[in-house]
Amino acid sequence: MSVLECVDLKKSYGRLQVLKGINFEIKRGEKKVIIGPSGSGKSTFLRIMGFLEPPTEGRIFFKGEDVYASRLNLNLIRSKIGFVFQEPSLFRHLTCLENVKIGLKCVLKMRDKEATEKAIEALKAVKMEEWADYYPAQLSGGQQQRVGIARALARDPEILLFDEPTASLDVELTWEVIDVMRDLARRGVTMLIVTHEIAFAKEVADEILFMNSGRIIESGPPEQILTNPRTPRVKEFLKRLVGGT
Amino acid sequence: MLLDYIDFIVQSFVTTLIMTFLGLSGGLVLGILSALGDVYGNRFIRIIIGAYVEFFRGSPLIVQLLLFYFSFPVLTGIKWDSFTAGAVTLMLNSGAYQKGYFKGAIEAVSKDQLLAARSLGMTSGQILRHIVLPQAFRIVIPSWTNEYVSLGLSTSALTVIGLRELTTISKSIAAQTFEPLEVYSLTGLIYLTWISISIKILNYIYSRVKIPGLEISVGAVPS
Repeated sequence: MSVLECVDLKKSYGRLQVLKGINFEIKRGEKKVIIGPSGSGKSTFLRIMGFLEPPTEGRIFFKGEDVYASRLNLNLIRSKIGFVFQEPSLFRHLTCLENVKIGLKCVLKMRDKEATEKAIEALKAVKMEEWADYYPAQLSGGQQQRVGIARALARDPEILLFDEPTASLDVELTWEVIDVMRDLARRGVTMLIVTHEIAFAKEVADEILFMNSGRIIESGPPEQILTNPRTPRVKEFLKRLVGGT
Repeated sequence: MLLDYIDFIVQSFVTTLIMTFLGLSGGLVLGILSALGDVYGNRFIRIIIGAYVEFFRGSPLIVQLLLFYFSFPVLTGIKWDSFTAGAVTLMLNSGAYQKGYFKGAIEAVSKDQLLAARSLGMTSGQILRHIVLPQAFRIVIPSWTNEYVSLGLSTSALTVIGLRELTTISKSIAAQTFEPLEVYSLTGLIYLTWISISIKILNYIYSRVKIPGLEISVGAVPS
């Protein structure tokens, strides 16, 4: 069953068209990775799929229901999707534990005890339970990002969306976050990931999609996209990425 | 002898405290509402708030007091005493300044936190209550301390509408005793002691509610 699906999705900011007609589907348990150059619309696409921004045109289905056409409650849908951002976006006045709990209490209306148990469980999944009472500013970027993942994970979302979660981290911190994501992938969590970590993409992705100036120009299994891309644009991008420039 | 007047001095100082308290608390409500209106409101609301702030920050407090006490009754036919007129003017004046402090504090809460809250499915009201305001209140304390000092000392302007606060009473006592040196020295000392102690208390409160990482934003206080 498809968790998220979009048909002919377009997005413009004023006269600038950022997404130029995207068709996409992700089924339960699938892991899909989006790669592509900066400014190709990856983040915008992800935010729209997370219902954080409305599309200009096109339809988005959440578990088969046309969300905007049926005027579904967006906050309800958002509460079933976990979003991890590029910048660690923890609430700075709350401890790690409270950061994970707040959504459970405010949105899912869990009791305090239940929320605490759920939150601890999520913090354990990202190996951050020992830091439960620390404030974000007392943690490294990688640790903050792991708490961000716990926050997204705690309410057992239907899908997790990752918007370049390691882009603002150095190499070592990147790996601790990647390890956590690899773990989630093994547990069968449905994931849609924007990343530049090609090795990670190759390892976990069922499908890699390449985005360029607002379109998905190529998609397929990792082996095909990464070793034998059809389009010259993808070939060039991968060459540069591996070359490290 | 100055001691003969100690009752008057204490009473007038209490009036000064009351006026400061009224001005600051009324200004707090006005300031938060105007700041929210300015950040989240539509064009019309922003224009009204802009005009309000412009007027009260752009004219002397003494002129505002004279306007409210003497001119307002002429305009509306409503008579009010110097206590009410003074309290209302102080509230409006302080609200205009506090609006700036609160706006800065609200905007200091980073956009990615708001987006993250949105992604959790929180409503705008919940985001305001659980994410924005708890941080803004902590961030605002240092600038709010300045406003406390500034408004507290500005209450001496109430003397132009004859309110019997510390400065007004000092003037009368000085005139009666012919001892301006002693009287005004004492008055100055009272203001100084009061404000110094208040700053210590507010700084203590700030140090208690301060959260690691949140104090970084302090100092960014646009109008």
